[in-house]
Amino acid sequence: MNKTADVTVVGGGVIGCSIAYYLAKKGADVIVVEKNKGPSFGASGTNQGACPLQLFEPPVLELARQSLKLYKNLSEEIGYDIEYDNVGALVCSVDEKQYSDMKKHVEKKKKQGINVRLIEREELLKLEPTLGENVVVGVEEWESCGVNPFKVNYGFACAARRLGARFLFSTEVGKIEKDKDKVTSVATDKGKIITNFLVNAAGAWSPQIGKMLGLVIPVKPRRGQIIVTEPTPLNKRWRCISDADYLLTTAFDLKATEVSKDKRIKLGVAGVYLQESTGNWTIGSSRDFADYNTNVTMQTIRYIAKRAIKFIPKLKDVSCIRTFAGLRPFCYVDGLPILSKVDNPQNFVIATGHAGEGITLAPITGKLISELIVENKTSLPIDAFSFSRFKNAYLQNLG
Amino acid sequence: MERKLQERKVNNIVCRCEEVTEQEIRDAIRKFNLTTVDEVKRLTRAGMGLCQGRTCGSLMEKILSEEINKKVSELLPLKKRPPVRPIKIKLLAKKERESE
Repeated sequence: MNKTADVTVVGGGVIGCSIAYYLAKKGADVIVVEKNKGPSFGASGTNQGACPLQLFEPPVLELARQSLKLYKNLSEEIGYDIEYDNVGALVCSVDEKQYSDMKKHVEKKKKQGINVRLIEREELLKLEPTLGENVVVGVEEWESCGVNPFKVNYGFACAARRLGARFLFSTEVGKIEKDKDKVTSVATDKGKIITNFLVNAAGAWSPQIGKMLGLVIPVKPRRGQIIVTEPTPLNKRWRCISDADYLLTTAFDLKATEVSKDKRIKLGVAGVYLQESTGNWTIGSSRDFADYNTNVTMQTIRYIAKRAIKFIPKLKDVSCIRTFAGLRPFCYVDGLPILSKVDNPQNFVIATGHAGEGITLAPITGKLISELIVENKTSLPIDAFSFSRFKNAYLQNLG
Repeated sequence: MERKLQERKVNNIVCRCEEVTEQEIRDAIRKFNLTTVDEVKRLTRAGMGLCQGRTCGSLMEKILSEEINKKVSELLPLKKRPPVRPIKIKLLAKKERESE
């Protein structure tokens, strides 16, 4: 028998479940369609759960800032402990040449209204004895947090379900039916859903959903590899330490990684070293394109391990208990998320392209997309993330 | 006798690395309608420790199969990832060949 819904969300990851929750909160009747057996089978389940605010630049910065605010009370709001952890964030450099860039970074962040502080080497080592002799300078900030990404994902899913949202797992979208410029229904291998709106939150798989409607969504899977260690005693001050390379090269500047002669930079290895409250470290990450391959590669893991020891030397005698890799939905035109309606079909909404920032941006994405659908306006401007921005990019590519 | 057995069941440690009890696992399966061992792991930490489920994995499968009335053979097996055994980060960082 056919099902009906106000909104059908494709993708049961952290973005899809957040959207479902905020929509259900507004009284919408939501169905989430997920091809895997549960939530968190894609990038939502293969990340570190770090949300370091100072790594964000406009226009995404404002989203991140608002998202972190939502995270603060999320456990209470959804009635489930997402293990919000006020770890702050330290960005740290081990390269003398980056000193001036780090100074510039601090000035820029201050102008953006982020409460950052530059810390010289000596003080760094005093405040955090686990840091290595190699460190040159650091920038700390305390608005950032860590969360348990699984718990965020399941928390949103459960809260949405309590509000009446339905979840169809192990269910794959086969075809999307249209009437003129509107989506009318979604055909899945478990039956048809007649729907007023369709949201594409399929992450790295969102281009396939777009294709069913003849739309090219310029997103491709970018692989990130991560090492997990056994627990160690908790760090004194900072449990979220990022490599300055993260901000200066690998994460955001695709060109810089492509042209670099340094093999490590080419593989996108620049880390966030996050110690969870359990004492375990997750050491990430890398950024490469390997289609939908989620294997870890020895070469990349070696670079990650080597780099980690530079920042936190005591890690060398700590055991790695697991490695894993996930596929981040990366917008290859400009690296920005796509949070947008499209002209045709007009009831089709895209929420993807969050790259490595999906966990940080999940709450605000859910909130904004729910506003976009229910009220047709958003509490934050999202023009910078519109789908129409690609028209020019395509013409340029063709020309 | 019956009560003692019941108590033991509640406090039975399934995952010794992360000290997760049988009851915690059953509760998570019921609360979240879990259908895979991977999900049990994510929400309870059972199988996230030093042995990565090598000891408790089959126990988790058995509990899940009881809870959702499926045969163990019908369940999606726990995802295996390298390394096979814990390995020091410094060994991971070591060059494989001098030519690299």
